[in-house]
Amino acid sequence: MIKHHPTFELIQSFVNGDLPASLSIGIKLHAEMCSQCQKQIAQLTEQVADNAFESENSFAVNDNDIFDFESIISDITESDDIDDVSVEINKTINFKNKAYPLPKALNNVSVGKTANIGKLSRARLQLDEEEIHTNLLHFNPGGGVPEHTHKGFELTVLLDGSFTDHKGEYTKGDFIMLDGTFTHQPISEKGCLCYTVANDALHFTQGINKLLNPIGNFIY
Amino acid sequence: MIVVQTELPISIGHAKSKRMINNTEVQELNGWLKAVANSRCKIAFTHLFKFFAPKIQRIARSKFTNEAQAHEAVQETMSNVWRKAHLFDADKGAATTWVYTVMRNVIFDLLRKMKSNREDNLSDDIWPIAESTVSDDDIYEDHLENKKLLHGIESLPEAQQQVVKGFYLMEMSQEQLATHLNLPLGTIKSRLRLALSKLKVQLGEDHD
Repeated sequence: MIKHHPTFELIQSFVNGDLPASLSIGIKLHAEMCSQCQKQIAQLTEQVADNAFESENSFAVNDNDIFDFESIISDITESDDIDDVSVEINKTINFKNKAYPLPKALNNVSVGKTANIGKLSRARLQLDEEEIHTNLLHFNPGGGVPEHTHKGFELTVLLDGSFTDHKGEYTKGDFIMLDGTFTHQPISEKGCLCYTVANDALHFTQGINKLLNPIGNFIY
Repeated sequence: MIVVQTELPISIGHAKSKRMINNTEVQELNGWLKAVANSRCKIAFTHLFKFFAPKIQRIARSKFTNEAQAHEAVQETMSNVWRKAHLFDADKGAATTWVYTVMRNVIFDLLRKMKSNREDNLSDDIWPIAESTVSDDDIYEDHLENKKLLHGIESLPEAQQQVVKGFYLMEMSQEQLATHLNLPLGTIKSRLRLALSKLKVQLGEDHD
């Protein structure tokens, strides 16, 4: 059962279209697995739309100053072509010879080549959002990340399987947003696939594991 | 360790009872949108334009720094309303909600294009403007690319097929096609562009 959801503030920014693509996709991925958040988003969208298009708000606009209505309308309506719904496509992505269905929200995102370190595999999602990096991260059974912290935020949406840290177990659909003030050590006993967004490299904190800081960059 | 999240509020209030836009108005807007979808009615579209365009303009001005971009957002949104009206389903929500989605998507893609310099148009995958009911998996089980491509062309609307076949299979120029079909060059270009984007979607990532 899904236990971790986006905050109301995040859902609000999502509906407003104010979040970067990486986080917007993260919320969409969660909502596809969580009917509660999906409903919340639908209701909020309706409300926000009503506010946006409230009639009395147009009082200040003198239409004719801004628009040459006639010519814009005739340009637009010149062609009777319509845009069809794109045919549904079902893509998959492979990690260690296992094929996973690629979520539809990622259909038009370009996916980089998969890189492996031990039981971890990473495929970079090329969203080009400067310091915000987005990946698909796959843990083979028994795979884990040594205790680490973040300077920025780290979002994990669990797409398949489960993992645990000292706070408990996380399952498919969980939306886990962590900030820079914590440390954790996730381990996946049976393996899992995650969608991750982070705006800074992981930083390993424990003794000899500090030697692993290159892995932090790998995952980021 | 701090987990930065709170539980969702159970409900965001009585959305329905607090509508800013009254029911009659919503009905009217729904009707116009349906008239655009069903009969390509330009009068209905003019009503929609006059209702929405100034409001979209005001919202776009708060998102973009320059007037030209705000203006582009209005034009692109209204143009999408014209071309996608058939995807509107009044049973699933009000016209205002649907137009809002179209507008938010246009603005999102334009901003992303400016900031990240990417033209990947992700918005419709994040906020679909129609529930995808079309599922034609069977067709794509055939892995022969050519067959797939021809099949894709056959499934385009007739007007786009003409242009694609003329341009790619008969190797006519866009100008020749315009003369041949007695259409403005701009129409040829826009049909070709639409057709290609559809084919690209159908063929998936292999052809990126």
